[in-house]
Parts: sequence; structure tokens; C-alpha cells
Amino acid sequence: MHGCRDMQGFALYPFDPPGDISALRADLRGWLAQHQPQGDVVERANCWASFDAGFSRALGAAGYIGMTLPARYGGGERHPLERYVVIEELLAAGAPVGAHWIADRQTGPLILRYGSEEQRQRYLPGIAKGKLYACIGLSEPGAGSDLAAVRTSARETAEGWRINGQKIWTTGAHLSHVILALVRTEEGSERNAGLSQLLVDLDTPGITIRPIIDMAGNHDFNEVFFDDVLVPHGALIGTRGEGWKQVTAELGLERSGPERYLSSHALFAALIDAAGSDPEPALAVLIGELAAEMWTLRQLSMSTAAKLAAGEDPMVEASVVKELGNAFEQDMPRRVQAVIDCGWDDENDLARLLRALLIASPSFSLRGGTREVIRGIIARGLGLR
Amino acid sequence: MSAAREMLCDTARAVFVEAAAEGIAPVEAAGFSLLLVAEADGGFGGDWGDVNAVLAIAGVAVPDLPVAGLILSGLGEADDALHAAAAVSLMAGAMGEALGLSIEHVNTRQQFGRPLGKFQAVQQSLAVMACEVRAVEAAVAAMAKRLDTVGLDAGAANFEIAAAKLRANRAVGVVTAIAHQVHGAIGFTREYDLHRVTIPLMRWRGAHGNDAHWAQRLGRQVTGFGGRGLWEAMTARAD
Repeated sequence: MHGCRDMQGFALYPFDPPGDISALRADLRGWLAQHQPQGDVVERANCWASFDAGFSRALGAAGYIGMTLPARYGGGERHPLERYVVIEELLAAGAPVGAHWIADRQTGPLILRYGSEEQRQRYLPGIAKGKLYACIGLSEPGAGSDLAAVRTSARETAEGWRINGQKIWTTGAHLSHVILALVRTEEGSERNAGLSQLLVDLDTPGITIRPIIDMAGNHDFNEVFFDDVLVPHGALIGTRGEGWKQVTAELGLERSGPERYLSSHALFAALIDAAGSDPEPALAVLIGELAAEMWTLRQLSMSTAAKLAAGEDPMVEASVVKELGNAFEQDMPRRVQAVIDCGWDDENDLARLLRALLIASPSFSLRGGTREVIRGIIARGLGLR
Repeated sequence: MSAAREMLCDTARAVFVEAAAEGIAPVEAAGFSLLLVAEADGGFGGDWGDVNAVLAIAGVAVPDLPVAGLILSGLGEADDALHAAAAVSLMAGAMGEALGLSIEHVNTRQQFGRPLGKFQAVQQSLAVMACEVRAVEAAVAAMAKRLDTVGLDAGAANFEIAAAKLRANRAVGVVTAIAHQVHGAIGFTREYDLHRVTIPLMRWRGAHGNDAHWAQRLGRQVTGFGGRGLWEAMTARAD
């Protein structure tokens, strides 16, 4: 008999941000009513990929970017869970947060944690203003799920680091100012040893960015080539040779956020509105099921954010959020299509959202770690393998 | 978990061991019907968090005894939605046990010269199962929090109870199927403990509202909120 064992092993962290959270939400909703572009409804789905520099600058000026950074770097010195509330509000509203998304979520916190004073002063204020955008250089042609196979090299010379190699699937490289690249700094090193992170300005000579158009016809991905690119010694972020550890910690920030279950919220909202106040039974059932799943995912995501905010490493919990969130979002358009009567080429909002998300949905369990890799992490957390 | 709740759990474990042999009498004698009764009225003044912790243990130790009904009897005529909420707590406990038994089994049982847990196909299955168990645990915790915020008013917690029962019901299929699959034939025997949680899980899924019941109810509540209103309602209820 095991009783409470499992519950104690996986206690839920209470989500308990300081301050008046209702007021924070109300302020932001009021601000969005004034400033959110009234663009195409399809832009509101998957909105963390919607790039709008004007919106990002306005959001930064209003204090909603770099919220957790210290004031001396232009940040808001707010609690991480206050930032979480802001992020979930922006996503639920379908605001176009793509331009600053990676810089705000990952690169800023990483520079604060591992960067030198010079790097912090150089990059963080621009990030907090919503003016400086970042992309992440991890995958390579020979290193996808097997990230430790990274081969792009950086050799230290008298003038600085000399980088040669290629990154691929680099989201937003063509719109970003900097790339945070995982490179092999130790010649002859193998696997996850000898890797370091370099923060490279994308206008440095020798960098070529080529678009990869995805199956929806969008240009999000790129190939990024480094041809004898020379960057200063100060481009190294954190500790030489500790790149693997730094990247692994960063991925925890990437996997558990509300974007893992709110990317398709515009479709759910349109479905609810289309169903009307007296829905037919099949629609009511689907809406009930989706609401139960979404509500549950929100609890899991909030609890993981609380654990992260408490300074713990929620690697397994973050992977649970990603796995369940991906499944929820991938299934949603299929389940909606199964109960509503709408043609593939119909031009009403619901039909266009449905089409866009059906086509986008295969990527949900690929980006940020494939389903198989994520399940492997969870299995290891269970004590298998 | 608070020290008081740890103590309550210890008591519950001890009482349920007796009850497994003697029936519900030891649970009655231990005063579990007073768990939710206010201290001023001679009860223990417990909250739904306490009920949840006790029922998670009962779901494993004495799934066939009416422990939930006994606890709720302290409230007089408890709303049927509270019985559904209690069922979710039982289910969370039983699912945790099914996961624990499965992990133990695949780490011990050897085939093809290594433990089953070394095979990727088995690992991936157990990861899927663990996600479902975590989801139900999160749902049950959030439901308990809401119930305590609104003073056990089932009407004021109707969204959370519906969502938690529906989510738990939907997890039962995945959890019982994978638990039995990774156990193989031994899990299908009377002798082995797995059926002691999987059969009750199947029973609780249909009790106090099946999937269709709660999905209809929740769906109608949500269309009442409207597309944007769902988000506003969901956040307002938890802030």
C-alpha cells in the first residue's frame, strides 16, 4: 500500500503572486483595448509567432516587457508570477507578441543570470523597451533532437572568437538583432562537453541568413550560416564549456509557459461564439471537454511557473505541460472540424482559423523539443531508463 | 503538506488498514463524519484539502467502502456535486497508485535480458500515463482550492467540479489501459494488486455524472460565458 507517496512526490506549487493581480489584469486589458491592433483574426491564433515591432515597442513603453529585470537595466523589478499573469493575458487576447517573445522569455533572463555587467548594460535595456529582438541558434543540419551533435565551431584568437558552421530552423533570425548560438569552443570535444553560448550581433560580417518557407507558406524559419565570423571575446555568455548546462536550464523556461495551451485559444473562442447560447448537444460536449482540458492545463502551467519562481528546477513538470498542451492544441482543430459544418475554403473567421490551425498543428509537437524527446525526459523523471 | 494534514493522513492510513478487514465501522468510530464539521459544533473543522488528502488514501486502501459518503454525511444533505468532487479525489489517489505499481513493475520485471523500463516503447507509454495522472492531481488541487474559497458551496464551485470530474473521467481510460498493458498477464490476476485500483476507477468514472453529463453541463456554462467571457470567468474565479 502506497497511499500519499505519489502526491507528495509531485506536490503542486501554489500560484501566489504578490500584489493586486485583479488590478494588474484590469490595467492590461484596458491597455490592450486601446493598443491591440484590430488585424486579421488568423493573426490572433498562434500569436507568439506574430511579429509586430510597433506593438512590441508600445508594450515595452507600457512596462510589460522585461518585467522581472532589475530597474538599473530598464526592467520592472516585478515578481516572475506577475509576468506570468501578463503573458497569459496577452496570449488569451491574441496580441502579436512574436517580435520580442524570445528576447523577453529566454534571452533576457539568461543574460541577467550568466552575462557580464557589460553584456547586461548593452542588451537588457533594449530588450525591456521591446526594441531588441533575439533568436536561438541551437539546431543544425546534423543536430536536431540530438542537440549534443552540434558542430558549429568557435575558436579563440587574439582578436576574438572565430565562428564557422551553420544553424537551421532558426525562428525569426531574419527579424532579430542578435542570435544566442550554442557552439563548440573546444576543438576535438565530444557531445555535450566543450560547448559554449555566444551572443552574436546578426549584422556581423560573414553571417548569411536564408529563409525556409513552411508548409503554411509562412517565413518563420531560417538557415543561418557563419563563414569565418569574427566576434569580440566579450560575446561569450556565461562560462566557457558550460553551454550545455546553460541551454538545458533555458529550455525549462521555454516548455511550461501558457503559450503551450493558449496558442489556439482564438479558435476555441470563435467556436464558443459560433455555438451560441443554446448549443446543440455535440457542440456543448466538445466545448465542455475542451474547457476542462484547458482549465486543467492552466493549473499545471501555473504550478510549474510557481516552482520555477521558487528557484527550483521543474524540468519534468515543464515537460508534462508541454506534452499535454501540445496534445490539446493539436487535437483541438481536428475535434472542431469533426462537429462543425464548414467548408475548407469558407472565408468566415471560424473556417479560416480552423484551416490555419489544422495546417500549423503538426509543428506543435516538434517545436521546443519533439514529443518523443519530451516523453523521454518524463520517463527519466519517473525513474525509468 | 501541513503538519496537521500529515497527522490526519497518518490516522487515515491506520484506520483504513483496520477497515479493510472489518468494514466501515472503524472509519465511523474514528469520527470521519466530523471531518468537515466546524470545531464550534464539535467537529474537526477540516477543509476540502483535508478531505482530498484522506480520500486519495481511501481510493487506494478501501475503494469499496463508502468513506466519501460518510465524510459528507457530516454536512447533512450534501449536494450531489460534492459527491462528484469526492469521487475525483478518490480517483486521483487510485491513479497515483496505478502509476506507482506500474513503475515498480517495469523496473523489476526482466524480459529480453533487461528490465521492461529500459525499453523506449514502455517508457513512452508510462510518460503518457504519468501526464494524465499529473493532470488529474492538478485538477483536484485546483477544485479543492475553489471549494475552500467558497466555503464548500457546490454551486459556486460548479465550473471547477465539472471540469475536474470530466478531466478525471477522461484520464481513466488512458491510465487503466496503460497500467494493464505494461503489467502484462500478472496485472490481470486476482492475486496481484492492480485490479484493486483499476476496477474502482472504472466504477467511479460512471458514478456521480459520466462524461456526457459533465461535458454537457460545462459546455452550456461556457457558452453562457461567451468566447472572451470564458477567459474572464476562468481568471476571475481563481484570482
